[in-house]
Amino acid sequence: MRKTLATGVCFSHSDSNHSHSFDYQELYDSVEIVPEVTKIWNFSENPVPNLEFFIEEIKKFNIDRIIIAGFRPGYFKPFFAKALQKAGKAPENILLMNIFHGIPEGVPYNKWVKAKLLCTLYEVPFEASLLGEPNPVNPETLIIGGGIAGIQASLEIANSHNKVYLVEKTGTIGGHMAMFDKTFPTLDCAACILTPKMVEVNQHPFIELITYSEIRSVSGVAGNYTVEILKKARRVNVKTCIGCGTCAEKCPSSVKSEFDQGTSLRKAIYMPFPQAVPNKYLIDADSCRYVKDGKCGTCVKFCPVENCINLDEKDEVVEVTVGNIIVATGFKPFDAGRMEQYGYGKYPNVVTSLELERLVNASGPTGGNVVLRTQDKKGNWIFDAGSPEPKSIALIHCVGSRDENYNKYCSRVCCMYSLKLAHLIGEKLPEAEVFEYYIDMRAYGKGYEEFYKRIEEEGVHIIRGKTAKIEEKNNHLLLRTEDIEHGRLLEQSVDMVVLAAGLEPGNDTKKIASMLGISCSDDGWFQESDAVCNTNMTLTGGVLLAGTCQGPKDIPDSVVQGSAAASSVIQSIHRKTVPQSLKSIPPEDIKRRAVILSPLNGD
Amino acid sequence: MNRIDPDFKEKLKPFGIGNWNECYHCGNCTATCPHTEEGFLFPRKGIRSIQLGLADSIHNNVDPWLCYYCGDCSETCPRNANPGELMMTLRRYLTTVYDWTGLARILYTSFPALIIAFVLVALSIIGVGFLKNFDRIAIMEFGHKFEFFAILSVAVIILLPNILRMLWFTLVKEKVKAPFFFYITGFVDLIVHMFTQKKTLKCEENKLQWFEHFILVLGYLLLLFTTVFLNWFGTENLYIVTTGYSVGAITFVITFLFIIRRIRKKSELSKFSHPSDWLFIIWLFLMGLTAFLVRVFIDLNIIGNHLWLYLVHLIILAQWAVLIVPFGKWTHFLYRSFAIYIAKIKKENLIKHIDKELVTVTT
Repeated sequence: MRKTLATGVCFSHSDSNHSHSFDYQELYDSVEIVPEVTKIWNFSENPVPNLEFFIEEIKKFNIDRIIIAGFRPGYFKPFFAKALQKAGKAPENILLMNIFHGIPEGVPYNKWVKAKLLCTLYEVPFEASLLGEPNPVNPETLIIGGGIAGIQASLEIANSHNKVYLVEKTGTIGGHMAMFDKTFPTLDCAACILTPKMVEVNQHPFIELITYSEIRSVSGVAGNYTVEILKKARRVNVKTCIGCGTCAEKCPSSVKSEFDQGTSLRKAIYMPFPQAVPNKYLIDADSCRYVKDGKCGTCVKFCPVENCINLDEKDEVVEVTVGNIIVATGFKPFDAGRMEQYGYGKYPNVVTSLELERLVNASGPTGGNVVLRTQDKKGNWIFDAGSPEPKSIALIHCVGSRDENYNKYCSRVCCMYSLKLAHLIGEKLPEAEVFEYYIDMRAYGKGYEEFYKRIEEEGVHIIRGKTAKIEEKNNHLLLRTEDIEHGRLLEQSVDMVVLAAGLEPGNDTKKIASMLGISCSDDGWFQESDAVCNTNMTLTGGVLLAGTCQGPKDIPDSVVQGSAAASSVIQSIHRKTVPQSLKSIPPEDIKRRAVILSPLNGD
Repeated sequence: MNRIDPDFKEKLKPFGIGNWNECYHCGNCTATCPHTEEGFLFPRKGIRSIQLGLADSIHNNVDPWLCYYCGDCSETCPRNANPGELMMTLRRYLTTVYDWTGLARILYTSFPALIIAFVLVALSIIGVGFLKNFDRIAIMEFGHKFEFFAILSVAVIILLPNILRMLWFTLVKEKVKAPFFFYITGFVDLIVHMFTQKKTLKCEENKLQWFEHFILVLGYLLLLFTTVFLNWFGTENLYIVTTGYSVGAITFVITFLFIIRRIRKKSELSKFSHPSDWLFIIWLFLMGLTAFLVRVFIDLNIIGNHLWLYLVHLIILAQWAVLIVPFGKWTHFLYRSFAIYIAKIKKENLIKHIDKELVTVTT
């Protein structure tokens, strides 16, 4: 048993308007009844706390240990360590407690904070006192989202011979990675890594692939969820379609291709891209003339397989019961049109990074030629393989990221993919001048800094400074930027501008969060149970996160997180249990356990 | 050599919003500003100097006076650091740097001192009224003489030395040299700008704002001219009387619009108001209004029974003339114009230097 120490508790009030509001007074009362708490202080980040004052207080009340409770307690640890030391006490006796983290949505907040505070007082890890009775688990797993993270998680679980349902919103799995040409920093071909995995998913006996479908509702308890899945009418029989493409050839209705980011046209009956999985056609109800007006049916006429196309097929709801759910819904790119100063949507040759990604891709609309967007005979702006090539291209970093007006966070991937695109442009157009405008170069991963140096040596002009505006002058785009490292103003005229759009949570994030009973953090991404050492679990039992839906990350990190989520699932299947949802644990139990487990409580 | 003053940021706090640490130096503000050019890069460079505590480089720079606060930079700033208001803050600060008496600093930084100064001036005017036994004719005669005296003494004792100090900081200390010719032609720009503020038109969103400001300046200067030199309150000349009425009305109507805008806080320019901004605009409004009413009372022949109105007008006028004009926001009228002059000379100096560098490179 350890000696009990006279303790001081410091409450730091945060300046930020956090969504949680609670009664500080009730918290003070709850710690005051603990006999070893001799003093309670309040302070806030602003103004900075007074060191002299705390040294005097520690001496006066003979305090040996300090608990810092607040929004970011670690921030003040050096301050109080100094205060303890100057007061002649051991500076290591500081405990931290974050009063905002690890507490589920929709619970009586104050009670939980009190319970957590007691755990800290008794020096019991909060997580240790949370272990309620686990629930039995259904060994089947649902994975929402068929991007690289979802694919990786599906394969890991299926390879341990457990059933997986992989639900994907679009007509094919592959997600955003399938659109990329190369991956950084190794410049490996993205499709060469991804397509074998996609095919494996399709052929795996333990994976049931449900594409063109969405989750409609989730019910049940941790370990035994019943999920309703809305299977949108594909109108083409996946089993009999031979993928010949005659239907698409004859289809009279064309719209912009989602997969090519609108840089090319597709038909109303289409395959998202040639390597799509499943490699079958589907009909887009919004653009199909038969679905809209009831008149057409050309595809049915020309289809060589009988009864393969059924234009009257209806949406269908299926129900599955699963034990664990992995959310891997990914991101959506920032809408660059929101930044009016860059004129995206106004100037035809201001393009987004994903559009350029399709242009440099050999399977893209121009067969891998980087060309300017030009007007065709009908007056539509298109990328045509025969159009003139740009002689100079500028890439602008941080579009919609690190910007208080849009998203405060760094999207993590834009610096690196912009460097990669600069390299790919150099490969396709060796004569072209490439400029990169960045604020800070974030090359943080293995081999990334080296990649940055390599691109710099390749002759790409890398300029520090955020471009403020783009204007069109004499068919050129004029960029105005401050070159910060050289202290001068740059007015650069280029043929094409690429906006490195950041990552944003998908449109359905809030909906999915409410269905699964998980929460979103302030910036809109799904909230993990611990931002540092448990990024793939949530506070709801059996619901896990993988990939960019938890926060912006690159492909290697998404793959790792997919595997990590899968390992948690396999662990729970192996143990035959799944942790309870935190919400269902009464705070009184937490307090009771804290007292039992406490190392200070030897009697 | 520049000295670092670690407390420089703290010293600037009373002059505005003071969030100098927000900036992460992306250069968006400098590049978006229509007034920046080679050698005159602001606001980011100024913010950097402040973060580093380089007081001298702020004192020796005219950049803040070249900003006309259209608010483009503040609107698009990715850190919400409000660089436009930071430039405004620097202008307030520089006003106190140029002031040799040190009174501007006290009035800008201490609100109690400001109140005491205004009350003292008001009491002195009432005291004068008391000495003259509240005789209308004597007081009005005094008022008229006071205007002459105040303008002359403020200009000679305060404003002229301050302008010289500004030139000292920005040209002499910086060792700026340009051909003599430019020192003369620069004055043309100075005068043109002083009466038209035409540089404001470079800001895209400022067209209407420029027009209002232009009319206000014109109205104010004419009001000064008619009351001081044409003796508006004493004359029977119909032309002078009507001119006085119209410029008085212009002054208080436009300032009223400005006050409303500052209350509504819709545009970037009016979002943040320092006490000095309020004082300037409200006192200008009161001056126009009371002058207008005094003349109305004279025309209605009831000023004899309502001498208080003239006293109120005189108090406002005195506070304006001895506090706001020499030590307050009024000085931007001069400093902005001289900044254009200084910038022109600096530009010539810069071109000469660049030429020299080129020569050394080529040889």
